[in-house]
Amino acid sequence: MALNANLQMLPNRVAQITLTGELDAGSASLFKATIEQAAAKEPTRVVLKCSELKFMASAGLRVLIFAKQKMGPKTELHIVGAQPAVLNTITMTGFDRSVVIADESKAAS
Amino acid sequence: MNSPQIESATFAGVRDSLTAIRERVTEAAMRVGMDTGARYRLVLAVDEVATNIIVHGYEEAALAGDVDVVVRVDPGWLVVELEDTAAPFDPTQTKVPTEEELLSSLDERMPGGLGVFLAMRGVDKFEYERIDSKNCTRLGVKLGAEHS
Repeated sequence: MALNANLQMLPNRVAQITLTGELDAGSASLFKATIEQAAAKEPTRVVLKCSELKFMASAGLRVLIFAKQKMGPKTELHIVGAQPAVLNTITMTGFDRSVVIADESKAAS
Repeated sequence: MNSPQIESATFAGVRDSLTAIRERVTEAAMRVGMDTGARYRLVLAVDEVATNIIVHGYEEAALAGDVDVVVRVDPGWLVVELEDTAAPFDPTQTKVPTEEELLSSLDERMPGGLGVFLAMRGVDKFEYERIDSKNCTRLGVKLGAEHS
């Protein structure tokens, strides 16, 4: 397992999770646990900082489905700074329609 | 005449092996000079197939087993074969998300079939054979002319 998922609560109940390393079927449960921690704070928005996320398998996408279904349609899920290959996986599977994709310079505040 | 280069390694069929399996394929792809995009797509494809073997083939069936990963450079191709001893399972027959399902919002999505979908999209050849009580899944990527 080579994933670090760090949760920080920002002003306006924005939950920011910084993902570092590789998100696969071995590390997805850690990511899911972090999403559950964030959900418990009833965030207005969830921001995933992904610039240091080197790899994401479908197990990671499944946690995104879980996150959206758990938070409900009113809570936006932001993907910030994702590397091109990771972003490609998100768009190829149609997930870009349900999340907000932003690059690093437009990080949520 | 060049003989095909073949390397074989055996991994325990558990989730913790996924990192090492990806590293093996990454090394092979770098050695034949694949570009980063193609390399990532192949590594992802192998990871998805290996994950299905480990999670559905072994874990959910309460079976212990290995994943054999054979990397072969054939003329014009980098081929990765994954072999397992789980119950017969042909990933090429998996129902992958339809175009309509891919367009629906995350609130409505069912999570199945994404792994195989990504695997198939990432390689030029995706084949399955049942050989001697083993599942053999073969993923192939075409190489540029200079690597044939």
